[in-house]
Amino acid sequence: MNPYFVLAAATLMSPGIVAHATELVVLVVGQRFSPVADAVIEVRGDADVTQSFAPVTRIIDQRGETFIPYVEIFRPGDRVEFHNSDRTRHHVYSFAQAKSFEFVIAPGNSAPEVTLDHSGEIAVGCNIHDHMIAHLYVSDAAYVAKTGSDGRVVFASLPKGHVTVRVWHPQLRPGRAQPEQRLTLQDEAANLTFLMQLLPDPRAGAGDRERSEY
Amino acid sequence: MSFRLRLALLFVTTLVAVQVFTAVLVYEVARRGVIAEGEHQLVAQADAVSRQLDDISDRVADNVHLLSLDYALRTAIAQRDEGTVYSALRNHGRRIGATRMLLIGLDGTVRSDTSELNVAAKPFPFPDLIDVAFAHPAAAVVALEGKAYWMIVVPIYAPAPVALIAAGIPVDDALLAHLQQMSSVPNSLELIFKDDRGSWVDMAHSGRLAIAAELMRNRSELPLQPTVVRVNGREYVALAQRLKESERGASVAVLLAYSLDDALFPYRTVAYAWAGLLLLGLAAGLIGAMAMARSVARPIEALAETARRIEAGDYTADPPARGRGEIGQLAGAFTRMTQAISEREAHIHYQAMHDAVTTLPNRHAVELTMRKSLSEEPAQGALLLAGLMRLPEIIQTVGHAIGDRAMRDASKRLQVLCAHAAVARATDTQFAIWLPHTLLEDAVAMATRIVETLSGAYRESGLSLDTAPAVGIALAPAHGHEADLLLRRAEVALMNATGKEHAVAVYEAATDPHRSERLGLMGDLRAALEGDQLLLCYQPKLTLSTNTIDEVEALLRWRHPTRGLLFPDAFIELAEQTGNIRALSRWVIDRSVAQAAKWNRGGRPVRVSINLSARDLDDIALPELVQDTLDRHRVDPRHVVVELTESAVISKPEAAIEIFNRLAEYGVELAVDDFGIGHSSFAYLRRLPVRELKIDRLFTGEVTGSSRDQVLLQSMVEFGHRLGYRVTAEGVEDGRTLNFLRKIGCDHVQGYHIAKAGDAPSIERMLDARSLPSAILRERAS
Repeated sequence: MNPYFVLAAATLMSPGIVAHATELVVLVVGQRFSPVADAVIEVRGDADVTQSFAPVTRIIDQRGETFIPYVEIFRPGDRVEFHNSDRTRHHVYSFAQAKSFEFVIAPGNSAPEVTLDHSGEIAVGCNIHDHMIAHLYVSDAAYVAKTGSDGRVVFASLPKGHVTVRVWHPQLRPGRAQPEQRLTLQDEAANLTFLMQLLPDPRAGAGDRERSEY
Repeated sequence: MSFRLRLALLFVTTLVAVQVFTAVLVYEVARRGVIAEGEHQLVAQADAVSRQLDDISDRVADNVHLLSLDYALRTAIAQRDEGTVYSALRNHGRRIGATRMLLIGLDGTVRSDTSELNVAAKPFPFPDLIDVAFAHPAAAVVALEGKAYWMIVVPIYAPAPVALIAAGIPVDDALLAHLQQMSSVPNSLELIFKDDRGSWVDMAHSGRLAIAAELMRNRSELPLQPTVVRVNGREYVALAQRLKESERGASVAVLLAYSLDDALFPYRTVAYAWAGLLLLGLAAGLIGAMAMARSVARPIEALAETARRIEAGDYTADPPARGRGEIGQLAGAFTRMTQAISEREAHIHYQAMHDAVTTLPNRHAVELTMRKSLSEEPAQGALLLAGLMRLPEIIQTVGHAIGDRAMRDASKRLQVLCAHAAVARATDTQFAIWLPHTLLEDAVAMATRIVETLSGAYRESGLSLDTAPAVGIALAPAHGHEADLLLRRAEVALMNATGKEHAVAVYEAATDPHRSERLGLMGDLRAALEGDQLLLCYQPKLTLSTNTIDEVEALLRWRHPTRGLLFPDAFIELAEQTGNIRALSRWVIDRSVAQAAKWNRGGRPVRVSINLSARDLDDIALPELVQDTLDRHRVDPRHVVVELTESAVISKPEAAIEIFNRLAEYGVELAVDDFGIGHSSFAYLRRLPVRELKIDRLFTGEVTGSSRDQVLLQSMVEFGHRLGYRVTAEGVEDGRTLNFLRKIGCDHVQGYHIAKAGDAPSIERMLDARSLPSAILRERAS
């Protein structure tokens, strides 16, 4: 079995009460049906028009040689600011096409804000600590959210009609197409489940790769 | 095959057999040990090789991983700086010992390859390695463009996966050699792949030889368990171990081969030493065996040689006496045997050459002596044959024991007398004395002395025996050159000497009855029978009672053309020996009967008596012949008398009885001639139908001298008369005898005094004249 096989099953739930809006619950599970946290769910409608978002600044903290949060969703035009709460220096970098940057952040300092203009996934690492990794997901989808520790995302009011639901996760097997499902939202609330096989968490254990299988 | 060779061969064969057997045993044990050891080591080494390759894999994977973390490289990859990527890959590849580094995109295409500068986007040939590379280090032994690599694939995180690096560590001969050096096993390590056609090919090997291709040519399965195989005439224990391989790659395995020949190599030194020892042992054994065989065979050969010499009659050579062993004992026994044989032969020789009674040399010995003497110059000598002529009589009378002692006594006397001559016992009664270089006079003198010496009577316990010695002499070269001829002639001389006054005679050819002239006489006799040389004389027989001649005895004469008139003594015995007597007798019978017929028909009534030979008794047809002759001439049987000597009658009594009876049946009268000297018994004579006894002249010859002889003659006449015979006295040669015979009543007389034998006409004249010779008439008158 392809380890990156994605099982997607959509189940139409009971019809919604709101005539022009309906609810979608997306559940992401991994191997052995364990809930997958930090999965980014994008929902795009066929009739979506380009939106503009009010830019915000989100802070990625570095504490205990860990980026917090692990995955953060941005909208195009949003800004990111890296803050070093550790007592070591961090060498934050990204070679992502969406945005590449490189900062050496002294303890207690913050890096200058970086504006993320383009949608795309930006993997951020620390050149000093290989096990530190964070993912900035810049999405221009109409609806976007990430799963919590229960692997669930609830979209409370979505317009009826055809939608495409796409999932991204940092531990998806690279080089493969992102799993997505299309469905037609009706009055009834919809449930959507993604079954995914994920690579091991690169931060596994104490986040020390030298102690991993490698 | 000689004993020596066989013994040596046995030694060598035994030695070689034992050595070869031991060598084979040891070799087999060693080989099995080596195989077991090889199997054991191969299993261990296969594990070790696997582990080492895994270790290498881990180490390389770690290195590659560290490499992947290199910031500059990550930067270059992330920023798609291909030139930098290429050089960095090469640089880092060298660090970790990889000869080939590939950069693989997340989509599985090769983005950079250190083995080629401009790489066309092509898929990485081992995608399964990429699949597992994100989960754990992916490593496999693969064949890439004809080379074997230990291929390790690791992702590049920047910090998310951006690409993968594949590092190819060459698995080449050097690596395998290195792996092999880490084990002390004398074997070879081979990396083999299964090619497109399904046959296994060698990619790299550590040993001197690559056997996999050859081995797997005939096998479908890898030897996953230690297996003894034979490749190109050499033996190996082989074991294959599969390696981590890529799903898409070729099957790959290492083949470990443990060369039995190499493992046995140390034993080869032992084997050479062994062979050397064997050769040494062989040489030593051979020399020893030869020496031993020599010590055994030499004496035996020497014994055999001695035996051959003994066979040839040479007893002088002593067999070699060696040691106290069996051979020594044999040699000792041999020596004793030789001595015994020698003594026995000497004894036999002595017996063969000597007489047991007198211990003198025998006839054979003296012949040898004579021969030897006659072979030297001058071949001259005298052989004296001394005979004790009365010895047969003595033996008959007193026995052999005394006869032997008399002979021994005589031999002693001879030995004293003839100390320098060769004295031998020639026959039972004769001694031969060989006097070399002696002439007639000395021989006769010696003979005379011998006769004198032997004439002394032999005395023993009251007996005094006169042996009547006589000596015959034969001289060499006058009478012969050869020993046996001389002996024969000396014997003839001895016979002549017997009865002579001096009892010594020298051989005379004239008196030799055995001379070759007699053979000529025999042929002449046959001519005489056919011709007209034989004739009959008739001796008148006077009947005393009537003083008339009424009977004549026919006597045979042979008028020989060269020898003159021959008497029967000269040729009757010869005729008997040559078988002519029968024809002679028939001639006599025929002529006698014819004469009788003539006389009787002519008015002269006279009887004719015919003498027959003892040999005629063998002729069973004789009576019929006589009758036929009588019938033929028409003669009354009463006019014929057949005479046979007393000795002839005695010699064949049964035949005489038969013939006489049948002749008597025909009416022929029979007379016994030469009566009185033939030892016949009267009891026997009584059985014969004889009418007349003719007393031998021996009794009438000396009748005038001794009164004793007269009494004997008178007794014989009276005795004959009492038994009913007419008695005739022969050999009457004087008147006194005639008168005496007339006085004692003898019936007939014949002899010179009456009338000499004459031919038929003279007898006729005498009969017609009716006159007797004057002497007889004178007797009548007186």
